[in-house]
Amino acid sequence: MGTYLVRRLGQSVITVWALVTLSFFLLKAVPGGPFDEDKQLPPEIKANIERKYNLHLPWYQQYFAYLGNLCEGDLGPSYKYLGRSVNDILADTFPVSLQLGLLSIALSFLIGIPLGMLAAYKQNTWVDTSAMFLAIAGVSLPSFLVGAILILIFAHALGWLPAALWEGPRYMILPAVTLGIRPAAIIARLTRSSMLDVIHSDYVRTARAKGLDELSVIAKHVLRNSLIPVITFSGPLIAGAVTGSFIVEHMFAIPGMGKHFITAVTNRDYTLIMGTTVVYGILLIGANIMVDFLYTIVDPRIKIR
Amino acid sequence: MTPDGTTYTFKIRRNLLWSDGKPVTAHDFVYSWQRLLDPKTAARYAYFLFPIKNAKAFNDTGSRVKDFAQVGAKAVDDYTLVVTLEKAMSYFPTLLTHSSTFPMRKDVVEKLGDKWTEPGNIVTNGPFLLEEWQHNYKLTLVRNDNYWGEKAKLRRIVGYMITEESSSLNLYETGKLDIMRGIPTSDIQRLKNTPDYYKIPLLAAYYYGFNVNKPPFNDPNVRKAFSAAIDREEICKALQGDQIPLTSWIPKGMLGYNPNVGIKFDPDKAVAYLKQAGYEKGDPRLQGITLAYNTNEGHKQVAENLQALWQKHLGVKVNIDNQEWKVFLDILHSIPAKPLASPHLFRMGWVGDYPDPDNFMNLFTSGSDNNHTGWKNSHFDKLIERAAVEIDPDVRLSLYNEAQRVLTEEEVPILPIYVYTTQKLIKPYVKGFQLNPLDEYYLDTIWVEAGS
Repeated sequence: MGTYLVRRLGQSVITVWALVTLSFFLLKAVPGGPFDEDKQLPPEIKANIERKYNLHLPWYQQYFAYLGNLCEGDLGPSYKYLGRSVNDILADTFPVSLQLGLLSIALSFLIGIPLGMLAAYKQNTWVDTSAMFLAIAGVSLPSFLVGAILILIFAHALGWLPAALWEGPRYMILPAVTLGIRPAAIIARLTRSSMLDVIHSDYVRTARAKGLDELSVIAKHVLRNSLIPVITFSGPLIAGAVTGSFIVEHMFAIPGMGKHFITAVTNRDYTLIMGTTVVYGILLIGANIMVDFLYTIVDPRIKIR
Repeated sequence: MTPDGTTYTFKIRRNLLWSDGKPVTAHDFVYSWQRLLDPKTAARYAYFLFPIKNAKAFNDTGSRVKDFAQVGAKAVDDYTLVVTLEKAMSYFPTLLTHSSTFPMRKDVVEKLGDKWTEPGNIVTNGPFLLEEWQHNYKLTLVRNDNYWGEKAKLRRIVGYMITEESSSLNLYETGKLDIMRGIPTSDIQRLKNTPDYYKIPLLAAYYYGFNVNKPPFNDPNVRKAFSAAIDREEICKALQGDQIPLTSWIPKGMLGYNPNVGIKFDPDKAVAYLKQAGYEKGDPRLQGITLAYNTNEGHKQVAENLQALWQKHLGVKVNIDNQEWKVFLDILHSIPAKPLASPHLFRMGWVGDYPDPDNFMNLFTSGSDNNHTGWKNSHFDKLIERAAVEIDPDVRLSLYNEAQRVLTEEEVPILPIYVYTTQKLIKPYVKGFQLNPLDEYYLDTIWVEAGS
């Protein structure tokens, strides 16, 4: 277990390094730079700006300087937001996205797993059909549509909830639901299909034959084994959800991290693009390691060596 | 101002106080300008002060001027600021209305570094003080009770930075906002006739530029033909954004705005211009013209309208090509250097920095960094240079009229399309909001009617 963890961490460092290197050089290859604006700057001012951010140095010096700072946890100054460092920006926005992301994930598990179980248990009945209809709708409806419908109903028509902004618990409900519907639908479908596999397996028949009541059969034998695909899926899901969604944050005017993934690229804010990429990469790797550990808890046959 | 127009002496009010109680002095201006011009600050807006003697040289690390004492901005005493310019400039005082030239406290900036603008750190002198600032999200201002002039009417103002227009409209319509700017185009028709709706023409213009060093647009008559073939009224109607059609170049609301200048929509004349250039309507030599714009729904609509109009009135098939913003800028900036490898036509806009026509007309002079057309005209350059130093507004006006005629009737390196407008929704109980064409907010005059 200990050696496994060390090995995985070693691999992770290499993965992050590869990610940084690849992103760094891809960015240099993209046309347009952070200081190309609609108002072309006089050449002496542009030279001053490039000197300030060391952009006048050869690429390899820029690269090693960036790597050096990164090792110290310094993601550099933002090129777009004057006087702010990427660390500042992420420290402000990540907690917001994290809160919203965790809320939406909790919501999607709470809805998805019971819905999938119910559908599988009542396979080929009207319960199953309507649950799966809901799931397909949830997967196919884009979040900007779901969000717009929710705003129309709960903010405009009923006036129960605010249409946007981030000022406390009431403001979290609509964006969390908007964000949670899609993963909930995917989880419901995964749970249903894997549960159907398990339900027809021999050991479940044995459990039933032993005379166990339905509830313990489902809870002890079926549910646990059918959760494997759901856990696999939840790794990338969590990494994605806690780093925020561009569309949902944009739509609800939430000061989260999601929008920086897109706007940093359109602004060519090199350091912020690198920062968001590195953070996302580390979270994704971390979530996948966590998934591996969860496997061993759910299914004792899986061992970490 | 001295009679030759090169030296300005500013007297600073003695009753001005910073928010920490210290007096505002001429030294605060000098420090702020020194910081703006310091190459280490690398300020984008440093060029606002370039008219000041030696300022441009001080900003350029390659030059000999290293000592700010050589720059023409001096505090003679605590309340007197003397500014010496490189040469006379009639609109110099308007440059100083830009926020980048406002005074600053040396002790505060040097102590706090980049964090000097954060709430609790920043020291200001206006009618409001900064109470809270969540970057890219929210600003809270409270009244400054030590303000020298008439105190603000509202005690507190909360502003949200919302990028999605439909989100702010949702908040406005559910009563969470009292004032908002930027209405989604699809909602303008619906809201246009409500009492909340206000439209303000901005000091900003939308235009297309010709790549004048690439045939067939090296001939001014071809450019005139393309200008006469477009119906700007029709384009603005199609956009539904309440824009104002523009054939001349100086926007509405500024000295020199003259709707009588420029080539009006006239399809017959357009064909006649083509003939003068030696082309027939639908001439095969005119095919394969390319037009570039940056990816955006509104720009696409304009480009498609232009394409249709030129096809209809000139028989010319124009290929339209869109690119992501920064890629588009890359293409744009390489036009003057590589005209033949670049598109024939490009979309662009200009938003005024200060309310003077020079800010617009200067754009197309030979030395301008923002003249992407490759057009150089010494007569035009001279007119603009003369207008910049002219003090008499009537003489300036006639100089700008002539320069605009050169730009949009005789030489036509650009096709002005429209003046931008911005829309605001203001609740009927909000009073005293002053709309202005730079879209600046004067919050101290706003008040809310009692009982609401």
